[in-house]
Amino acid sequence: MKLISLVVMLLLATPAGAHRLDEYLQATRLGIARDRVNVDVDLTPGVSIAPQVMAWIDGNGDGSISSTESLAYGRQVLASLVLSIDGATVPLSLGEARAATIGEMTAGVGTLRITASAPIGSSGRGRHQLTIVNAHHPESSVYLANALIPSDKRVQILGQYRSQDQRRLIIEYEVGMSRGWTRMSWVLLGLSPVGALLWRRRLDHSTTVETQPN
Amino acid sequence: MKTLRISLFLPLGVLLATGFVQRTAPPAGNAAAPKVVAAANAFLATLSDADRAKVTFDFNSPQKTTGWSNLPSGIFQRNGLRLADLTAQQRDAAMATLAAALSKSGYQKVVDIMNGDEVLKNRGGGRTGGRPGAPAGGPPGTPGAGGGGRGGRGGGIVFGRDEYFIAFVGTPSATTPWMLQFGGHHLAINVTVVGSDNVMTPSLPAAQPARFVLDGQTIRPLGNENDKGFALINALDENQRKQAILNYQVRDLVLGPGNDGKVIQPEGMLASAMNPKQQQMLLDVAHEWVGILNDEGATSKMAEIKANLPKTYFAWSGSTTNGELAYYRIQGPTVIIEYAPQQGDLDHIHTIYRDPTNDYGARLVKR
Repeated sequence: MKLISLVVMLLLATPAGAHRLDEYLQATRLGIARDRVNVDVDLTPGVSIAPQVMAWIDGNGDGSISSTESLAYGRQVLASLVLSIDGATVPLSLGEARAATIGEMTAGVGTLRITASAPIGSSGRGRHQLTIVNAHHPESSVYLANALIPSDKRVQILGQYRSQDQRRLIIEYEVGMSRGWTRMSWVLLGLSPVGALLWRRRLDHSTTVETQPN
Repeated sequence: MKTLRISLFLPLGVLLATGFVQRTAPPAGNAAAPKVVAAANAFLATLSDADRAKVTFDFNSPQKTTGWSNLPSGIFQRNGLRLADLTAQQRDAAMATLAAALSKSGYQKVVDIMNGDEVLKNRGGGRTGGRPGAPAGGPPGTPGAGGGGRGGRGGGIVFGRDEYFIAFVGTPSATTPWMLQFGGHHLAINVTVVGSDNVMTPSLPAAQPARFVLDGQTIRPLGNENDKGFALINALDENQRKQAILNYQVRDLVLGPGNDGKVIQPEGMLASAMNPKQQQMLLDVAHEWVGILNDEGATSKMAEIKANLPKTYFAWSGSTTNGELAYYRIQGPTVIIEYAPQQGDLDHIHTIYRDPTNDYGARLVKR
């Protein structure tokens, strides 16, 4: 009841200009590293659907968003996200769930920010495909989904492919060799002519010895 | 705000250390910076001690990164001094500081954005269109739409040209870093001055209404941004458009306020695949944002963008017919520009201008 009164009060005082109306904006950013994927989701409900979204977040209906409620809602959101690497589903672990004040949220300007991550230890060197599908309240949502430029230079984004509404994002990426292996490769490459020369000399020597007349 | 932190995962700052970002030579010094310092000090001289304390923040304070927004007063609380609270002399001096920091056309753009907000106030707060099929201005029976201009400070949302704030992050100086922050609804100008250099990233020029009549003249604060963007997409051939046009819709800014330090994977068409005329058109589009800053600062920045042109992308989403909805993005090693109509409303445009290597003058400060 408190929440409804607050929302009505805010709607009375809040013109439609300047902020989101009837859309639930869900902006997802993915940071891919060699061993994990970090996922940030920013959730911003429009003013006219904010009461509905607040009802989902404010579990006890006391008109405020507690840390526990933010976290619980964050888990709900993550449960609606399906992340897979090379076709295998990878579970996301919630890191942080931080909500703006209920006043900001109900005015259509507040954002609930969720951070999550998933280990991808099994994906080694080579090309991979990450898919993320967001099924959180699609009836009222608009989506943004983007890969961040990887901070690890060994990870390269090769391409991003989305559904028209950005609910589904496929990222093709490549994991290169580690610096140690890269150095080792260069050393081996550098040594290969020397090795080949030595091998050739040894072969020549053997041939010479074998063909010496008795 | 109630928060809960379990742990922090994403080291946003490290994104700048990627191969995509190649730093170019620092911009050459210019004569504008001393003028801005002089104008800022002249403004400070008109203030009482109490107001001087109110308008000045430590350079490393959160004010620098969290003190700006696209939102109006009443939703977003800005710090510093509100124009409405200044005397005519103080207000003139505040605007003179802004004029010293910006180009003539940039200053006019800012004034047009402020005048647009005055129009919005007089219209009663405006209406932002919703999703297709949704009732405009809110659900039936919701009195929220159109009720703007009420409440005053601390009450409801307040629009209008009085509701813009000036602040100095750091002390105006010819030697130590400081920032001029000027903003209000649909406007955030952040000019960081470091010695003789100055940069204007991040900044957020936006507009609602995007077209209005004032004194018999039609004003479009972001008209060039719109028209030059459409001209460029239509100057591309079919094959180029296939590269530039994203096959998905973009309904908002990706890197709007609150997204400092994030660099998304660039998409669209590389400028290296454009002919010289198209490249010049791309630079002209970028100049609509870069050129808000004083001419010397803008010239340095444009030279940097031009040098990085082969690594700069142009991406487009939406109609290619001017007058219809479209989003576009320019992203290079030292620039990110986004143009995004809001919620399907051509009369409500948000944009953002960033430099992933030099927001808030980070690169200049490190020097």
